[in-house]
Amino acid sequence: MPDGSFSHPQQRQFNPYSDNGGTILAIAGADFTVIAGDTRQSEGYSIQTRYAPKVFRLTDRAVLAVNGFAADGNMFVKKVKQRLEWYRHAHAKDMPLRAIARLIQTMLYAQRFFPYYVYNILGGIEEDGSGAVYSFDPVGSYEREACRAAGAAQSLVQPFLDNQIYFKNQAAAPNQSHPAHLPLPDVLSIVIDSFTSATERHIEVGDGLEIYVVLAKGRSAQGLEGARGIQELSTKSDGDRVFVIRRELKKD
Amino acid sequence: MSIMQYNGGSVIAMVGKDCVAIASDLRLGSQAMGISSHFEKIFPMTDRVYVGLPGLATDVTTLHHQFRYRLNMYTIKEEREIEPETFAHLVSSTLYEKRFGPYFIEPVIAGLQKTASGDFKPYIAATDLIGCLNFAKDFVVAGTASDKLFGVAEGLWEPDLEPEDLFETIAQTLLNAVDRDAYSGWGAVVYVLTKDKVIKRELKGRMD
Amino acid sequence: MASADGGAYSYSLTVFSPSGKLVQIEHALAAVSQGTTSLGIKASNGIVIATEKKSSSILIDDSMIEKVATICPNIGIVYSGLGPDFRLLVAKARKSAQAYWKIYNEYPPTKVLTQDIATIMQQATHSGGVRPYGVSLLVAGWDINRGPSLYQVDPSGSYWAWKASAIGKNMVNAKTFLEKRYNDDISLEDAIHTALLTLKEGFEGHMTEKTIEIGVVTVPSEADLEAGKIEGTGRAKATFRKLTEEEVRDYLAM
Repeated sequence: MPDGSFSHPQQRQFNPYSDNGGTILAIAGADFTVIAGDTRQSEGYSIQTRYAPKVFRLTDRAVLAVNGFAADGNMFVKKVKQRLEWYRHAHAKDMPLRAIARLIQTMLYAQRFFPYYVYNILGGIEEDGSGAVYSFDPVGSYEREACRAAGAAQSLVQPFLDNQIYFKNQAAAPNQSHPAHLPLPDVLSIVIDSFTSATERHIEVGDGLEIYVVLAKGRSAQGLEGARGIQELSTKSDGDRVFVIRRELKKD
Repeated sequence: MSIMQYNGGSVIAMVGKDCVAIASDLRLGSQAMGISSHFEKIFPMTDRVYVGLPGLATDVTTLHHQFRYRLNMYTIKEEREIEPETFAHLVSSTLYEKRFGPYFIEPVIAGLQKTASGDFKPYIAATDLIGCLNFAKDFVVAGTASDKLFGVAEGLWEPDLEPEDLFETIAQTLLNAVDRDAYSGWGAVVYVLTKDKVIKRELKGRMD
Repeated sequence: MASADGGAYSYSLTVFSPSGKLVQIEHALAAVSQGTTSLGIKASNGIVIATEKKSSSILIDDSMIEKVATICPNIGIVYSGLGPDFRLLVAKARKSAQAYWKIYNEYPPTKVLTQDIATIMQQATHSGGVRPYGVSLLVAGWDINRGPSLYQVDPSGSYWAWKASAIGKNMVNAKTFLEKRYNDDISLEDAIHTALLTLKEGFEGHMTEKTIEIGVVTVPSEADLEAGKIEGTGRAKATFRKLTEEEVRDYLAM
């Protein structure tokens, strides 16, 4: 009505969430962990940026990948990093991986009725020196696994990982068993294959790939140092070490 | 839930070196409930042309009969067996006849096409439920596990696989994809077509 | 037999005479045998179909008359008999070829198209309110299944495959001539010359590129067949084509 009144009841709604695509993935080795994610950020059919990192170094032994609603993801990582810094001030050491995993659960569940719309995968080295992957749902339910894919291309990548990491549907040779953990070079090629495949068949995956590698203390970085586009991110060279490998993915 | 997911089921076809393979799961369900683990959805149309019909189970049967009828008419009239590519177009036009009340099936076609020189060339194709054809040089997928099949096939498939390697590739692709799909699985069947024989293998898989 | 006045069974509806004849069809054949001569010869590497094209007046623009018609890229037909009936059959045959193409994404084999035309012609002998078509046809085509093939279709709807045949006014003489001249390994070039010689036998007046029409079927090479599947167009390379006036002139001069 011209006078500003309404003849019918009207409803308006604000949707605070959005899906920004992309895919993340993590695989644990015996004494290393690989955590990777593509760098495309999209909304609907539009690409917002070709470089928006989804994988973050938390400590020298912990890396967090966040996928889903990018705004929530970035804020969540910021808060996790803040809690880890407080922990350092209080305890004069980095928080252990399993403790970070429990912290993330607590932080996610705190928002049980207005959740961070993100799927988290935490990867790194446990205090016993083993590689570990923790995966979370948006409200904090979590478990430790050997590998996990999440995000837009989860349905494409996860069954491939089941086959290549867990050797699902493959019979071992007589009197032999499948290895519990794969060597680093094998894991790296599986990660790269997973992302090139996902890029080929999923429109929300592509542009760039960031592969974080966390090595347990004392493990040699041999075979990694020669990798193309590698960069070390660790603060000390005598503890657990973090590296990142940056690669291009198709941009179409 | 979409009617395409009502009964579940998936099909995949792959090209190899002078051979093709087509494979499917064996589940027939009613939404989340499993009904049968012997529901075949791949049918031979000739010795060299196979068709997979994932989708609504009632339409699997109806379309199979429809294709068999049309193919018999073709074979009698033309006094020859149909070629895979011609059959793919027959499938396409049959589905498009029902453009505004479609069969809820997304057929997958695999066969060996006779070339001008008398050799056989691998041929695969898939269509959507109204007959839009998709020819592919590598593999085609359809059904409730299609996205999973795409992901695994993209990772495992390589060019010029020999029949036994092609069998291994398609079997692993199918098995691992359907294990991540609640609506597909309950065993599988694989056909490998070569110029002088067709190998059919029934596979055991997870029964959950 | 058909009497001059049509006889007692000369209804528009095709009905049996007590002797078992369909007199209307015999009338139709009479119309055919009054038509200009057409012929077809199957060669080892192709087929030629040819006809004479006579106009009743020099004032008629005979470049517009079409007696050899392309039905689809692999099939062409020629007729003797009533021109307007032929036109209708050409339209129906083209529709039939396109309907087949729409289903199978390829053009019909010669035999299938011939059967379709024969069915249309037969139906005219079986339906109320129509008369049989007053034409005989020669259907020449190539397909991957049977290679080059030549068929004749008559007003009754019967059809046969021929190595060489003639229809129309001079068919008896022409067939006799062809029987003498034909052998199984004749080349397309020779067949074209034989076709022209045969037509010349009964030709009244002067044979020129204006009074002769020729269509040829050529057997494609393997390379042609592959090229026919050029991506994007999906169109098969034509195996039937009509010779241009220039080409006809050159053959006549040889």
